[in-house]
Amino acid sequence: MTFRDRLLATIEAARPVLEEPDVLVVGSEVPNLLEPGAAATLVVSQDLDIGVPIHCHAAVKRRLPEMLIRFHPSPEEPSVWTPRSPDLLEVNFVGIDPSRDPADAYVFEDDLLPLLVFGALSLLTAGKEIEIAGTRVRLPSPAGLLLEKLVSDRTGEKGDRDLLVALGLLMAVGPADLDQVDALYAALRPEFRYAVRSNLTILSLLEQRTGMPDPRPRRAAVVALLRRLEQIDGGAA
Amino acid sequence: MTRLLDRRVTALRARVLARSWGYRQRHHARGVWYRLRRVLADASAAFAVPTDEVARLVAEGHRVETVGREFEPPKAIVFAPAARVAQIASARAVPLRLGRELLEAEGLVLTPFETTT
Repeated sequence: MTFRDRLLATIEAARPVLEEPDVLVVGSEVPNLLEPGAAATLVVSQDLDIGVPIHCHAAVKRRLPEMLIRFHPSPEEPSVWTPRSPDLLEVNFVGIDPSRDPADAYVFEDDLLPLLVFGALSLLTAGKEIEIAGTRVRLPSPAGLLLEKLVSDRTGEKGDRDLLVALGLLMAVGPADLDQVDALYAALRPEFRYAVRSNLTILSLLEQRTGMPDPRPRRAAVVALLRRLEQIDGGAA
Repeated sequence: MTRLLDRRVTALRARVLARSWGYRQRHHARGVWYRLRRVLADASAAFAVPTDEVARLVAEGHRVETVGREFEPPKAIVFAPAARVAQIASARAVPLRLGRELLEAEGLVLTPFETTT
């Protein structure tokens, strides 16, 4: 069974939650799903991140029993639901709270589905809805996800892969998305803008990783975005 | 039940604090790595050259990058067109990343992307 098959089977198995209004698929699988035919060629971790806006936590919680046939909550980390079959991926629930600062994080306490709420996810807004494996899946707007990837602290091999995911998004965005990136970037505090630019410089020097887009032929696009964002800062260094 | 999540929040906040500390130092010595990466981001290729070749390029009016002076030993870094670099027999291409070859070079010539002036 290919990774793509498992990803699609996981989406189908998580349908009760994914079809709740305002729930988003977030994280590194988004570029995989944005590929033509959801080709899922990027090598990322074997989980599906589901973003749960705090205001719809109760609604999601009501749907969870429908997922118990296929998954069970991890006793070590109850926001992770592990599959009962090797044909599925883990499901990782994360919280979205638009009122939070991008640097903030907190635990949304709950007896069944506690959530780690990442402030950087507040940059996400709902994007297009696609149908995959008979399931309506709401993706975040590429601009918000790109900025979320670039504003977050990235270290080590996973950090590099996350930046290559950002590169994959950068290659997929159009002019309207870039305008949205500009607007989101301009609204960030200077420290976060610096983090975005810093991560872009790291991305511009990354080597190729197995199963990820080769960043070297795309360095010009990376520096073009960097210069564009510097214009917003008035040429800040 | 949420002890692990709490630990992750604590770790994440610690990383945010460390990053804020780095941000406050961006204009000081620690910020030199960002400044070097920023210069390298503008380059389509990098070449290690003897420092006297860099001096020659500077004398010709090519752009020198002051970030090189912030290292010890200092690096002489200059931008020059690829056609000019091709005339330097001793120029040796080095990978554009913060690897050993680039960091060991005392003289670096960077070629700009075609859109760079």
